[in-house]
Amino acid sequence: MSGETTLTLRRALTQRVDASTVAWDALRGLEAAAIEGQEIWVDGTGRARLGDLFKVAAAPGERIRLVGDLGRMDGIGAGLAGGALVVEGDAGEYVGQGMRGGSIEVKGRAGPQAGAALPGAKRGMTGGEIVVRGSAGAGAGSGLRRGLIAVEGDVAEGAGRAMLAGSIVVFGAVGAEPGLWSKRGSVVALGTVTPPATYRYACTYRPSYLPVTLGYLKRRYGCPVTPDHLSGLYRRYSGDLAELGAGEILEWTP
Amino acid sequence: MPRWSWAEVEIRGVAIEDTFAEAFTMRVSRVVITARSPRWAREAALKMTGFATSVIGCKCEAGIERELAPDETPDNRPGMSVLLLTMSKDDLPVRLIERVGQTILTCPTTACFDGLPDAPDRVGVGSALRVFGDGFQGSKMVGGRRFWRIPVMEGEFLVEDKFGLQKGIGGGNFLILATSADAALAAAEAAVDAMAGLPGVILPFPGGVVRSGSKVGSRRTKGMIASTNDAFCPTLRAVTSTALPESVNSVLEIVLDGVDAPAISRAMRVGIDAACRQGVVGITAGNYGGKLGPHHFHLRQIMSGDGPAK
Repeated sequence: MSGETTLTLRRALTQRVDASTVAWDALRGLEAAAIEGQEIWVDGTGRARLGDLFKVAAAPGERIRLVGDLGRMDGIGAGLAGGALVVEGDAGEYVGQGMRGGSIEVKGRAGPQAGAALPGAKRGMTGGEIVVRGSAGAGAGSGLRRGLIAVEGDVAEGAGRAMLAGSIVVFGAVGAEPGLWSKRGSVVALGTVTPPATYRYACTYRPSYLPVTLGYLKRRYGCPVTPDHLSGLYRRYSGDLAELGAGEILEWTP
Repeated sequence: MPRWSWAEVEIRGVAIEDTFAEAFTMRVSRVVITARSPRWAREAALKMTGFATSVIGCKCEAGIERELAPDETPDNRPGMSVLLLTMSKDDLPVRLIERVGQTILTCPTTACFDGLPDAPDRVGVGSALRVFGDGFQGSKMVGGRRFWRIPVMEGEFLVEDKFGLQKGIGGGNFLILATSADAALAAAEAAVDAMAGLPGVILPFPGGVVRSGSKVGSRRTKGMIASTNDAFCPTLRAVTSTALPESVNSVLEIVLDGVDAPAISRAMRVGIDAACRQGVVGITAGNYGGKLGPHHFHLRQIMSGDGPAK
């Protein structure tokens, strides 16, 4: 199964759309008509079908491609467990919500709460990978339980809030209060970062797993990893000390 | 009396006996060791493969397979590939945990990865060694593979959670029969140099060479698993049933373990060819009549490019 299913936006979105109801995992094996029949929710007008918004070209395979500016579409890839989902533009809020496996690549910007837990939920994504080529909004990876989020641009405030495990790699600047209330997990800052007051500096060293993770991101997704990222030194901050304190912020020192 | 005729098949005047090396099915894992520099990757690999010449006395056999360039390793650092073999499936994780824990975890700057990620059989190595972290260890999943970060005084040690194991082959061999000890050693060195770095094969003995080939059991000492191969000892020519022609005054053996028969066969061909040089009278191989080991590497077939018979 090497085909690719493509959903092309018919016209620019004028309302917010909740796509978390789509069975994203099942799309890979469905005919075009079945995909078009998937239910979504449009602000203001209510229930709608994917086919109302997208032109669908279905081909069984591991890859789904969404074409268009989907900055107003929330919950893209919700519950994904396998395969590859590529967004050829921006994505709205909660991309990868409840994701368990597979990969989501957002070629534009991701809205707030990428891979994050819904309000009141204990856990965000529990597996898989989200790669954002642009910037990511507030709260990326909040409640992250497992998995990898890589952002080639900047991330806004609250990245990795209350995360339980997993890794968030940011190539640009990291917004305020990263990793606040985290128990475990890593926020890797290849750009600028200011750790919260509840994180404490430990040492400057070469984290052994980072070359593996960064090398993987470069090989698999073509992320802009440089030799200096791979061999460089990182300042390690442990936290959140108001919680378990087994988390870390790794700040690259060029 | 010599047990074979000489002149039927020769390579540069060196006779190739019409016989076969008899080898055994073992279990093998490939361990990829990386470090900050090739020096430290090699130091760890040398320690890990130390005292691992034969399962008879060492419980496992191990050796350096080849050096790895940074672009061949999971963390883009220089590395070494090591093969470790045991007779039983149950024994392999024990030896891996012992050796990775005592020789790689302890070595500055190293990390340790599974070199058989596609092997369906998996054994826990990092999952056992992680407890050295005393609760401060952490794990990371990268590309579907789990790694353990164990804090150590230098920084942290990274080790893969599980290692693949598969059936391998131990005991491929050939014997170099030479007119002098110097000629035997030069031929053995040439063979080892030629085989160095070939994928899927290790030479577990010192420098890749064995001077003390053995036969099964003992004529004098009850309970001995193996004793000196008197038929190939030049000093015993006059007092035992010798297998050596008159002109032979020294014999050295090359033992090969590997991941599969084609790898061993390929290495034997390269090694035997390099050993056929001045001062070498013949090349033969050790076997037990074909009744003990399921893998038979027929020298003449190998040298003609046909590979192992079975």
